[in-house]
Amino acid sequence: MPEKQNLEEIRQQLKEELIENLSLEDIEPKDIKNDEILFGDDGLGLDSLDAVEIVVFLQRIWGIEIKDMEQGREILVTVDTMANHIYSNA
Amino acid sequence: MSETTEQTHRGNTIGFWFFKTFLRFGGLWTAYMLLSGVTLHYWLFDRKAVKSAAAYLKRRFPLNSKVLIRFKVYKLFFSQGKQLIDRIAYISGLVEFDFDFLGQDMLDKVTAEGKGFILLTAHAGNWQLSMTKLNRFNKKIFLVLRSENNKAVKKALNINEESKIFGIISPEEHLGGIVPVVKELNNGNIVSYMGDRPYGFESVEVDFMGSKANFPYGAFAIAAATKVPIVTALASKTGFKSYKVDFTNIIKPEYKGRKNKKNQLSEWVQEYADILNNFFEEYPYQCFLFHDVWEIK
Repeated sequence: MPEKQNLEEIRQQLKEELIENLSLEDIEPKDIKNDEILFGDDGLGLDSLDAVEIVVFLQRIWGIEIKDMEQGREILVTVDTMANHIYSNA
Repeated sequence: MSETTEQTHRGNTIGFWFFKTFLRFGGLWTAYMLLSGVTLHYWLFDRKAVKSAAAYLKRRFPLNSKVLIRFKVYKLFFSQGKQLIDRIAYISGLVEFDFDFLGQDMLDKVTAEGKGFILLTAHAGNWQLSMTKLNRFNKKIFLVLRSENNKAVKKALNINEESKIFGIISPEEHLGGIVPVVKELNNGNIVSYMGDRPYGFESVEVDFMGSKANFPYGAFAIAAATKVPIVTALASKTGFKSYKVDFTNIIKPEYKGRKNKKNQLSEWVQEYADILNNFFEEYPYQCFLFHDVWEIK
C-alpha cells in the first residue's frame, strides 16, 4: 500500500484500477463521476461479476477486506464510498 | 421428480415418511417397489416434468421415436427416484453404500495449497452424496443456493443452522452474494455452485449434446479473479449399493490478459459442458437437468 494519499488521489487511482481490472473499453478516468452508482442499470452499469474483480483488487492493492454483506452494501456503491473507506482505513 | 422450483414441492413429508418406513422395514428393494408406483403417477400426469425430461432424452437419443422417448422418460424418473431414496437411506444411516472415490490425491494437492476451491456440481447423478465425501478435509462447504431450493437441499444433506460442515450463501443477496463467496474462498473453505443453472449470473452459449445450450459462467469468473481451482463433482450410481464419486476433473481458470474475458470464460465453460456430456454418455439415465438448457434466450 502506498504512503497515505489524499482522497482525490485515491479516487483517481480507483478509477484507473476499475478501467484496467474490469477491461472497461472507451472509458477514461475522467468519465467516471465520483458519485456515479457502480452497479445496476443506472450509472456505470457494472454487474456482480465485476464486483468479484473489485472485491479482489481492493484486497490485493489496498489491503481492504470487506467483512460481510452489510459492509459490502455500504462500500461498493460509488468511487466515493470506496475511496472514503480506503482513506479512513489507511 | 426433479429438484427445480416447481418440483421441490412434489416430495412432501408424508411421502418421505412412507419411503423411510419402507426402507427401515424392507430395505432398498421395497422402497424401490413403492417408487415404481409413484413414478408411474408422475409419468402419467406430470406433463411439465415429462416435457423437460424429453428435452434431454431427444438429444441423447436422437434416433428414437416419440413413443420410445416417452418410455425412457419413465426410466429416467425411476432412476432419479432411486437416487433420492439412496440419499435418504445413506444420510439416515439406514443403508451402507460402497463408494469408489476417484481423485483423492488430486484433492489433497488442492487443499494443501491453503486456499479454498470452488466445487462445481450439476444435476447429474447423486451430487449431494459427493459432498458427504468431502468431510475429511475439515473445510466448511458453502452452497450457493436460491432460497427456493434451500428447503429441498437442506433436507437432502441434513443441514441445520448449527451445521459445522455446510453453510448456505444466497445469490439473491447484494451483488449475488459475492462478498461472502470471496471471503470464504480466502478462508480456505469450499464454495459450491451448480454449473448448469445461471442463478442470477450471466450465461454463455456452449455446444452441448450437438446443440447450443446456455451454461452459467459465474463460478469460472470467480475462480479466475480469486485464483482458486474449480473441482467438478460427479457421483454416479454404479450398482445396487455402490457409487463412483469422481473429483478428477479440475479446471484452473486463469485469464491470459485482461481483454476478451468473456471468450476465455466461454472456453472454460465449454470444458465443463464436455465433462458433463461425457458423463451423460456413460450414464444416460443419470441426467437430472429437468430444465431446457437448450432454450436459448
